[in-house]
Amino acid sequence: MAFWSKKHASRPEHRFDLSAATYASLENVSLKLGDRTVLDDVSVELQERRVGLIGLNGSGKSSLVRLLNGLRFPDSGTVRIFGAATTEVAPDLPRHVGFVFQNPDHQAIFPTVEEEIAFGLTQIGFDKKDARKGARAFLKLHDCDRLAELPFASLSEGQKQLICILAILVMEPQILVLDEPLTSLDGLASRLILKKLKSVEQRLVMISHDLSTLADFDRVLWLEDGKIRMDSVPGDVLPAYAADLDRRAAKAETGAHAL
Amino acid sequence: MIAAQIPGPSWLHSLPTRFKLLVLLVSGAVLFPVDDILILATCVGLVIGLYASLGSKGLVQLRLLRPFGFMMVFILGLHAISGTVETGVSVVLRLTAMVLMANLVSVTTRMDDMLDAVYPIFLPLKWIGGSPRKPALAVTLVIRFAPVLLNVYGCLQDAFRARTGRHSSWRLIAPLALQALKMSENVAEALTARGGSKGLSNND
Amino acid sequence: MSDRSLVQVAFYAALIAALGLLPPIAIPFLGGVPITAQSLGVMLAGIMLGPVRGALAVLLFLFLVALGAPLLAGGRGGLAVFASPSVGFLIGWPVGAFVAGLIMQKTRQLNVLIAAVIAAVVGGIGVIYGFGIPGLVAMTDLTFDKAAMGTAVYLPGDFVKVIIAAVVAQTVARGLPQALLSRA
Repeated sequence: MAFWSKKHASRPEHRFDLSAATYASLENVSLKLGDRTVLDDVSVELQERRVGLIGLNGSGKSSLVRLLNGLRFPDSGTVRIFGAATTEVAPDLPRHVGFVFQNPDHQAIFPTVEEEIAFGLTQIGFDKKDARKGARAFLKLHDCDRLAELPFASLSEGQKQLICILAILVMEPQILVLDEPLTSLDGLASRLILKKLKSVEQRLVMISHDLSTLADFDRVLWLEDGKIRMDSVPGDVLPAYAADLDRRAAKAETGAHAL
Repeated sequence: MIAAQIPGPSWLHSLPTRFKLLVLLVSGAVLFPVDDILILATCVGLVIGLYASLGSKGLVQLRLLRPFGFMMVFILGLHAISGTVETGVSVVLRLTAMVLMANLVSVTTRMDDMLDAVYPIFLPLKWIGGSPRKPALAVTLVIRFAPVLLNVYGCLQDAFRARTGRHSSWRLIAPLALQALKMSENVAEALTARGGSKGLSNND
Repeated sequence: MSDRSLVQVAFYAALIAALGLLPPIAIPFLGGVPITAQSLGVMLAGIMLGPVRGALAVLLFLFLVALGAPLLAGGRGGLAVFASPSVGFLIGWPVGAFVAGLIMQKTRQLNVLIAAVIAAVVGGIGVIYGFGIPGLVAMTDLTFDKAAMGTAVYLPGDFVKVIIAAVVAQTVARGLPQALLSRA
C-alpha cells in the first residue's frame, strides 16, 4: 500500500445488502501462501447465526476467516460479504466484519482500556471527545466501567480478551469473526467469555480447538488440507473429528514426522 | 531531566501548553548569546523561584537533576584545563537555566496535552497523502508496547537462566529484536482488521 | 505509509526505549565501565529496518522523549534533554540510523556481519559523533579538541555495541531472513 494511494473515489456502502440471509459466501476460493496451497477450491455459504470452524493447524481455518475481513484476498474465486465481493469493498469490511484474535496482547493497541474502546469509535468517525464519552458509556453498559482507567497490561487474561471483544463490538459490526479467542484463557474465563459471546446479537464465526465450546453452535465446518472435509451440525461433526484425531494419534509415532 | 510529572493543579499546569512552549523557545533564544555571569545567575535564581512557587513538590524536582550536575562539573573541569574557567561558569549557568526551564514545562504538562499542542506540525502530512493521525497513533503504540517488550526480555532472561544459571547476556537482544518484529506483524494485522491507521470514515 | 510499516516503526521505537530501560551492562574487559544498550537500539533500527523506517523509528522515540516520556537511559526525558550539552548526539541519532540503513541496503552482496559492522561504525559512531561533538562545542563553548576528549570515554563502549549490533543482525538474518527488512 503506497502512501500516495488515492482515497476511495466512491463509498461502496450500498453494495452491501445487510438484509440478505447469506451473510458470507466463498465461491471456488483458492489461496496460496508462498507456494503452499492453504485453501483449495472451497465453496460455502453461511446463513447460520453461529458457525464453528475446526481442523488441525495448517488446515486453512485461519486463512478462511481472514478472507472474511479482508485481511487476505483469494488468488482465485470470490468471497462475498452480504453479497459484495471483498475485493471491491475492502476498506469498508472492518465496519461490518469484526475480528477478534487469539492473543489479546497483540490486538490491543492502546495503553489504557478506555482509549482502546474509544479507538473503535474514532475509526468510524467520532471525534476524540465524543469517542471518550461513548467508550465510557459502552464500558458501563457492559459492566466494565471500573476498568476504564486501568493500563491494559494490568488486566487479567480474561479481562483482556473481554476488552478486545468489546473494542470490536463498539464498532457495531454485523459479523464477529473469532480466531481461537479462548485459547489463552483458563477454564473459568473461557466459559465466561463464551457466555458473553453467545449473548451478543452478532453472527459468530469462531475457530476453536476446544470442541466442547462449539457443542451448541448451529453449524460446524471441519477443514482439512485446505478443503472442507465435513459440514454439518455439531452433533455429527464434532464426534467424527474427535474420532479421527484419536485414530491418528493411536497410529502414529510421536516423532517429528507425525507432529 | 527526569520527566516524572509534578501532580497538579497549579498555576503552571493551567497555562496553555502552546504558551509554555513559546515562552521556552523565546527564553532559550534570548539566553543563548548571553555571557554575563551576573545576568545568568539571576536567571537561574528566577527559574528556581518558579519551582519554589509550586511549593515543596516543585522543589523536590530540583533534586532529580543530580545526573545533570555531574555533567556540569565535567564541563567545568574541561574548561579549567583549557584555562577558560570564566567561560565555563557562564556556560554552566546558562545550561542550568535552560535545562531547568525546559524541565519545568515538561513536568507541568501532561503528555497528551503536549501531543495535542504540537498536532498542527503534522498537518502537512496531508499534502503528501499521509494522515496527521498516524504520528499520534505511533506514539500510543510505543507507550503500549515498550513495557510488553521489557516483559518479553524478562521471559527470555528466565529461559536463559533456567538453562545456564547466568543472569543475563547481550545474546538475548537478538531474540528480543526477532520477537519484536514478529509481534509487530500480529499487531499490524489487528490494526488493519479494525480499519487501519487511516480510519474508516476517510474524513481526515 | 502502510499499517505494517507504521507498526514496525513503532515497535523499533519501543525496542530502543526497552533497551534503555535495561540495567546497564558492565563490560569486564573495559574495566567495568557500564554501557547502556540504548544507542545499540539506534544502530539496530537502521541496520534492521533500513534507512527510512530506521530513521523514523528513532525520530518517533525522540518525539516521545520530547513529549515527556522518561525513556532515555537512566530514566531521563522531557524537553530538558534537548537543552542539555549532549543534544547534538540526539540529533545525530536519526541521521546515523538513516546512514546505517543506507549502507545495509547498498551492500547487499556483502556478508551480513561485515556489512553491519561497517554500517554501525559509520552510522552509529561516525555520524553520531559528527553531530555530537560540534553540538557539545556549540552548547559549552569548549574547543573542539576538549569536546572530543570529553566524549572519548564512550568510544570503547560504542565499539562493543558495534560488534553486538553486527552479531545480532547476523543472528536475525539466519533465524528469519525476511526480518532483515533493510535488505528485503
